[in-house]
Amino acid sequence: MLKIKDLVSGYGSVQILNGANMKVDNQSIVALLGGNGTGKSTILKACSGIIRTWKGSINFNGEDIQNLPPHNIVEKGLVQVTQGKDVFPAMTVLENLRLGGFTLKSKQTLKDNIEKVFNYFPRLNERKSQLAATLSGGELQMLCIGRGLMSNPKMIMLDEPSAALAPQIVLDIFKNINKIRKDGLTVLVVEQNVRMALLLADYGYVIKDGVINVEGESKKLMYDESVKDSYLGGGGTTANV
Amino acid sequence: MFKGFKLTRKLENTLMLVFTLIFLGYISMSPDMNLESLKGVLIIGITVGIIYGLVAVGISLIYTGLDVVNFSHGEFFMLGAFTGLTVYNFLIDGELIYAIFPDAYGWVGYVIGLFFAFVIMGLFGVLIERVFLRPLTKKGGGYTVAGMGIIICGFGLSVVLLNLAYLIWNPTAHPFNADLGLPINIGGVTLPMTYLWMLVTGFTVAGALYFFLNKTKMGLGVRAVAHSKVISNLVGINVPLYISIIFGIACALAGLAGTLVGPTYQVVVYMGYIILLKAFASAVVGGFGSLPGAIVGGFTVGLFETSCAFFISGSHKDAYAFLLMIVVLLIKPTGFFGVQVKMKA
Repeated sequence: MLKIKDLVSGYGSVQILNGANMKVDNQSIVALLGGNGTGKSTILKACSGIIRTWKGSINFNGEDIQNLPPHNIVEKGLVQVTQGKDVFPAMTVLENLRLGGFTLKSKQTLKDNIEKVFNYFPRLNERKSQLAATLSGGELQMLCIGRGLMSNPKMIMLDEPSAALAPQIVLDIFKNINKIRKDGLTVLVVEQNVRMALLLADYGYVIKDGVINVEGESKKLMYDESVKDSYLGGGGTTANV
Repeated sequence: MFKGFKLTRKLENTLMLVFTLIFLGYISMSPDMNLESLKGVLIIGITVGIIYGLVAVGISLIYTGLDVVNFSHGEFFMLGAFTGLTVYNFLIDGELIYAIFPDAYGWVGYVIGLFFAFVIMGLFGVLIERVFLRPLTKKGGGYTVAGMGIIICGFGLSVVLLNLAYLIWNPTAHPFNADLGLPINIGGVTLPMTYLWMLVTGFTVAGALYFFLNKTKMGLGVRAVAHSKVISNLVGINVPLYISIIFGIACALAGLAGTLVGPTYQVVVYMGYIILLKAFASAVVGGFGSLPGAIVGGFTVGLFETSCAFFISGSHKDAYAFLLMIVVLLIKPTGFFGVQVKMKA
């Protein structure tokens, strides 16, 4: 579904990604792991078109999408879900969801999709006319995922859905991500919470210094020593240098 | 002695109230004070206020959407007045309008003038934004990073537009003799029809803007872009298009305000400069970046200015708006509706 080939990108003149290669199969959950500053989020931003791709290609559903305007990428069905703090705080939950479905043409689809999101996250239904600023951290994350689902995407990319949340809520959200996959979506999840992410995912990639370091089935990765090294952001590898 | 002394919200409001009471007490001692003049000041103040409000809404809208203060906004006001005047004169000089509307040619021509000022200034604003402001953001980082360059560009644009108008319409004052009918009497105050037009059109447009922003899909998009361009991108909003829409609406409002003001004074090339500063003062008084605040700030500045000019001294009329701005900045730096100030250029 998504094929990333030799992706080079960065911010301003600072190069972050040095030729990353990745593949996400249809209807799978793939985890992208790595420590701080390794380029996990940069891959997502390049895929969703917020930053420019310098070199390499991003192929989604057989089409090259690198350097397309972000709203075109959303229309093609690839949606990035940001961390929970990135909602519109001065708008209600319902308005936030409507914005998620901004690319939809028909009002009926919009209504159906809101119902669908409320099915995944009943808590949002209880809070639908509240301002987003008044929600708790877990509810904000639900709102972000719900907003991502509004535009009928084929694939969603989640940026650290477990960040700063209580374990019980993380479990709940991960259950829902699994349910979303069962309903036919493809999921790419970027995580620092390695264990949780690998329990959820079918396949995992570990990124280090802007390139994919290790990849494999999540069951194998869970016991891989180099995953630990990568996850620690290179701190554990000094002995090998 | 003042160490650790902080203005709390409550104290701010109390001080504002004290200032208002002192001001009201002072003007009530004026020899001109009576019910008749008070009514007149109230109506004129609100009328002037809605004009300041419309221009201030544009400044605030551009500020929230593009993260910069548009210092060429007064020129759009001036060009709007000239557009309205030109369209009106063109219609009145022709014969068609007398044939179709023999009794109401004056206000039909005026409405068409208002419409053209609104539309042409809106399109002109979009053009200016695309051609002159957008390229400055090409280095990356968007409007927030390019801020200072865009502010300088705004000043330069102001000079260029002023001189362009100078070339086209020459520096003399043009009378705008809109034939709108006889003055009417509202509650004992004789009001020229131009003021009534300002009031009605101003309130209608402000209401329409409220409806647009809060009830339509496009308005939802505008509000989203005003809050965060990155998140708006991720939900699939065409952000560059919406930035143009925001700039266009703001300039259209300024153009409309120009044509509304035109008939009360004269249309001069230099009229944009003072309205920019006063609308800026209104936006600050109401809370910079807040749209309801801009309208309320407009009313406050309009009423304050008119009552000062009437009860204290008319010869310093233009200074009062800035006096009020300084007082509000000292006592309540966020303005009436101001929220936590964002870091913007």
